[in-house]
Amino acid sequence: MEETAAYIESGTLELYVLGLLSPAEEEEVERMSAKYPDVRQEITAIELAMEHYAKANAIEPAIGLEDKIFSAIGTPSTFIEPTPQATIIPLNQTNHSRKVRTLQYALVACIALLLVSTAALYSAHSRLDDAQNQIAQLSTQRDKFAANASFIEQKNIELHQIADMVANPSWSIVKLAGTGATPNSKMMVYWNRDERSVLLDNSKMNLPANDTEHQYQLWALVNGKPVDLGVFDMKTDREHILLKMKEIPMAQAFAVTLEKRGGSPVPTMSAMAVIGNVTI
Amino acid sequence: MALTKKISLSEEELVRALKAKETIAIQALYDMYSGALLGVISRIILQPEVAEDLLQETFIKIWNSGESYDSSKGRLFTWMMNVARNLSIDKLRSKDFRNSVKNQDIENNVDFIDAQKKVTFNADLLGLREMVTALKPEFTKVLELVYFKGYTHIEAAEELALPLGTVKTRIRMAIMELRKHFN
Repeated sequence: MEETAAYIESGTLELYVLGLLSPAEEEEVERMSAKYPDVRQEITAIELAMEHYAKANAIEPAIGLEDKIFSAIGTPSTFIEPTPQATIIPLNQTNHSRKVRTLQYALVACIALLLVSTAALYSAHSRLDDAQNQIAQLSTQRDKFAANASFIEQKNIELHQIADMVANPSWSIVKLAGTGATPNSKMMVYWNRDERSVLLDNSKMNLPANDTEHQYQLWALVNGKPVDLGVFDMKTDREHILLKMKEIPMAQAFAVTLEKRGGSPVPTMSAMAVIGNVTI
Repeated sequence: MALTKKISLSEEELVRALKAKETIAIQALYDMYSGALLGVISRIILQPEVAEDLLQETFIKIWNSGESYDSSKGRLFTWMMNVARNLSIDKLRSKDFRNSVKNQDIENNVDFIDAQKKVTFNADLLGLREMVTALKPEFTKVLELVYFKGYTHIEAAEELALPLGTVKTRIRMAIMELRKHFN
């Protein structure tokens, strides 16, 4: 920068440091110094040279002058109290109290952090509990649905079986109607001549409910003789639609009597509930 | 006193403490700079008693007008040095000082005025001439006049019958040599 180089070379800055310039000239130097860093640097270099020179030529003042000066200023003298130490200690104390304050802030921050962490942990814990409860609930529900699904599946299979019977000529569908004592009773018996199997249809069974002492007994009438096909209870909530009874190769009719629990060797004709003939 | 620890503070801390009128500021300034300032004063005022009185005045002025120091205008020592120089030059030019010197002249039969007019140094001081060996005496002579004798550069130009620009250049060259010496 040529402008500042010439300005620096002029010797004005030296006069400025020596305090020889007029106030107007001083202002000009200060303006240049604020504007141009190299002017500022040059001034500092001149100042440092003069400072070094003054220190190199220092003359120690007579002992006691310090106290005269301090008493003139009105500050305590080093003789009255150990002021250098006394004044250094406050600085150290400032540092010390600053450290203590920093530590106090740190402690407060730690406590705040601990509180926040505890709250977060507690919240996380209770949410975990909620989640576990939900999982248990959902698991129970799923089991219920699964059971329900298998139940429906089983029923579906049996319903298909019943539907197939209609189309299959081997199956005889026998409707049993109520007798004198119970005219409203009715039930269905499916009999397969080829396989000999006999099935009761629970869904279409309508008999008076039997007590714990008695059971219904199914009979096949073969050439005028009753043949035992097993006992059953009148229940509405069966898992299966179809109830398998004892097999029989041939029959002309089916009948149901109410017997003592476990069944009787011969039917009690007075306790006949329903009867129906096999149609060919 | 000799056993007490000297205080030394950074420039920023010194300035802050001085402006806040903290006692430590003046103690630190005294410990750090009283010798250098007395050196400056003693170049202008040759009588040690008067010089020490001026050092006291200098510190009182530094203490009382510390607020007016502006660090953007220069270093703290430059400001203090110029306080010391201005007080010393004022003293040198004051009537009662001249009279006292005259009285001394009669008493001691020594021409103090001539001594003052001549550039003389205390024997134990490091002279500019010794330090600025590369320069011709007439170069350092200019700096001696303005730095030690309280001449303005204009007065120095008149005294030496030199153009003002030459005086400024010679002061600059002398200080450049000082800078070389101390760097």
